[in-house]
Amino acid sequence: MAGVATPLPPCSITEIPRGTPKEGVPPVVEFKGVTKTFNANTSKAFTAIRDVTFSVEDVEGHGEFVAILGPSGCGKSTVLRQIAGLAPHHPPTRGEVLLAGKPITGPGPDRGMVFQDYTSFDNRTVLDNVAFGLECRGIAQKERYELAKEWIAKVKLNPVKDAYKYPHQLSGGMRQRVAIARTLILKPRVILMDEPFGALDPATRHNMQDLLIELWREVQATVFFITHDVNEAVFLGDRCYIFSNSPGTIIHQFRISPPDRPARHIMREKSFLETVYHVREILDGLEEGKT
Amino acid sequence: MEALRRFATRFSDWATIRDRPSALQSAVMSATCIALALFIWYIVTAGPVEERIVDPITLPSLADTVHSFPKLWFERALARGAIASLGRVLGGFILAAAIAVPLGICAGSFLRLNAFLRPISIFGRNIPIAALIPLTLMWFGLGELQKVMFIFFASVAFIFFDTVRSVEDVPDSYLDAAYTLGAKYVPRHGAKWAAIVGLGYAIVFGAAYYRLAQRPGPNDIELIAAWRIGFAQVSIFGLFLGFVLWFPPLAYQAIQKVLMPLAMPDVVNSLRLLFGLAFGYIMLAEVINADYGLGAIINLSQRQGPREHIYLSLILISLLAFGIDRGILTVQRWCFPYKRMGEQ
Ligand SMILES: Nc1ncnc2c1ncn2[C@@H]1O[C@H](COP(=O)(O)OP(=O)(O)OP(=O)(O)O)[C@@H](O)[C@H]1O
Ligand SMILES: [Mg+2]
Repeated sequence: MAGVATPLPPCSITEIPRGTPKEGVPPVVEFKGVTKTFNANTSKAFTAIRDVTFSVEDVEGHGEFVAILGPSGCGKSTVLRQIAGLAPHHPPTRGEVLLAGKPITGPGPDRGMVFQDYTSFDNRTVLDNVAFGLECRGIAQKERYELAKEWIAKVKLNPVKDAYKYPHQLSGGMRQRVAIARTLILKPRVILMDEPFGALDPATRHNMQDLLIELWREVQATVFFITHDVNEAVFLGDRCYIFSNSPGTIIHQFRISPPDRPARHIMREKSFLETVYHVREILDGLEEGKT
Repeated sequence: MEALRRFATRFSDWATIRDRPSALQSAVMSATCIALALFIWYIVTAGPVEERIVDPITLPSLADTVHSFPKLWFERALARGAIASLGRVLGGFILAAAIAVPLGICAGSFLRLNAFLRPISIFGRNIPIAALIPLTLMWFGLGELQKVMFIFFASVAFIFFDTVRSVEDVPDSYLDAAYTLGAKYVPRHGAKWAAIVGLGYAIVFGAAYYRLAQRPGPNDIELIAAWRIGFAQVSIFGLFLGFVLWFPPLAYQAIQKVLMPLAMPDVVNSLRLLFGLAFGYIMLAEVINADYGLGAIINLSQRQGPREHIYLSLILISLLAFGIDRGILTVQRWCFPYKRMGEQ
């Protein structure tokens, strides 16, 4: 892909040094020594993440795809929700979360989020769900329906038949398509995905991964993608962060070559499998380290 | 024959937990219950008066009861009584819902307001309903206003509580989604629509005053002036109340577009159930003091006879309440096609 400094062979790994901010333009997202302690100053005080520092540069015409891996409960969702500006994870207890150089003050449509659990609005048809963000902006109905129909087609739903269905009439995969469409239609700078395909079966998952790559190329946003599936992380990611056990902090950063072919092809290649094996070693080591 | 065979399925179905009967089977079961009740009634009151198992003063015979229907309908003006009772319940209930629903939406969204209102809500839900009768008699006299206000006080705290709970029950993740999609605070939109709703409240409050407040005779100029001032005050109060209550839900997109519509099916469902209760309460007020209405008919039948009318009224009242309930349920299903409810 254009913009990546050095072209890498498929699925190779290089450690990138921690915290090397570039001169000039501020990074899209930057964490500076971020610590989050829930119920601070009480007996129930619990530190979810400690001293998380990283920065993701805004590369011209190309958003990065950051995959986040780590043991369960290590604070991955906490990091993501801090970028989104959602309570109670936002604001951090210590440190700074910066978006394009400015501290994050709350949620906004410039940072779209796709959740693991289905959050389609039950009272709205697919069309109205996808058009929700445009409606909040005050865009006229005709215009927003036109755009919404385009996006319904882009996520491979049927703009004629599916548009007027309610969420309860859709399968899990279809609902996540709706969730992706309603987020991407707003053209956010940053897309946050918290195990969006966690509840889907493997075949649907592969389709969704290919779809996501395709759409991501189109919108060129910076994506943060949490997953428990190492295959998924290595396939989708340009860059991969691995978190330590709780309280989480980043212990490894890799750069991975971006996916250029469909998931089911790449996932059979030797270099891909080697990378996955390597990452899995690290994660298994972390799981063993748990008490 | 086929229907009968289908009905008589294996016994094991009867003993299977949560085994769903067919629609026909359910209907047959319910019909059997009604038939059985009527049959028992018939058996215990059959034969000449001296030989009955239950004497006619305790329970009149089925035939006598049915035969007394024309008298109840024409002489006691059953239909007019039913409409009067229904009007009182509707008046009090709509007033209560008009205040408690928006207030509940606000309290379900802003939890400090909820904490502030909680004592009133708890108090309102725990006072004995019957005790409200002497109280409302003291405050509002013997007229229609007392009955409407009795229903208002009997239901307002319950409607408020159920609305708060429905709004609180909407999972946080929907709110998170709404915020990341750009839901924001739009005071101009809120002010515009709250003003329109407030106008509606002004009209309803004004109409209620017009209907319920004792209008002075045409010659009493001073009293007429006072009546007019009261009318204006009530209308303006309605405008103000409607605006204040509806401004927050309409100004915050997260409430207007997410919390409110997602909570609405539950809110309407509990309004339906509470309306059924309120319809029962009105009898309480009417039995004690009323010139007409269903409660008055029962009271009159008890004092002057025929006693058959008491039983007949009770049956007809429950049929009416059931009819209303089904009516609202149908509207509900039509309004909220995405939500299954009221399977009962
Ligand atoms: N609102 C909260 N109050 C208190 N503790 C919390 C809260 N939210 C999360 N935590 C705690 O913070 C830790 C990190 O939570 P987080 O959801 O970020 O983990 P995660 O890495 O996303 O886990 P998983 O992979 O299971 O989703 C957990 O131990 C959790 O119990
Ligand atoms: Mg998580």
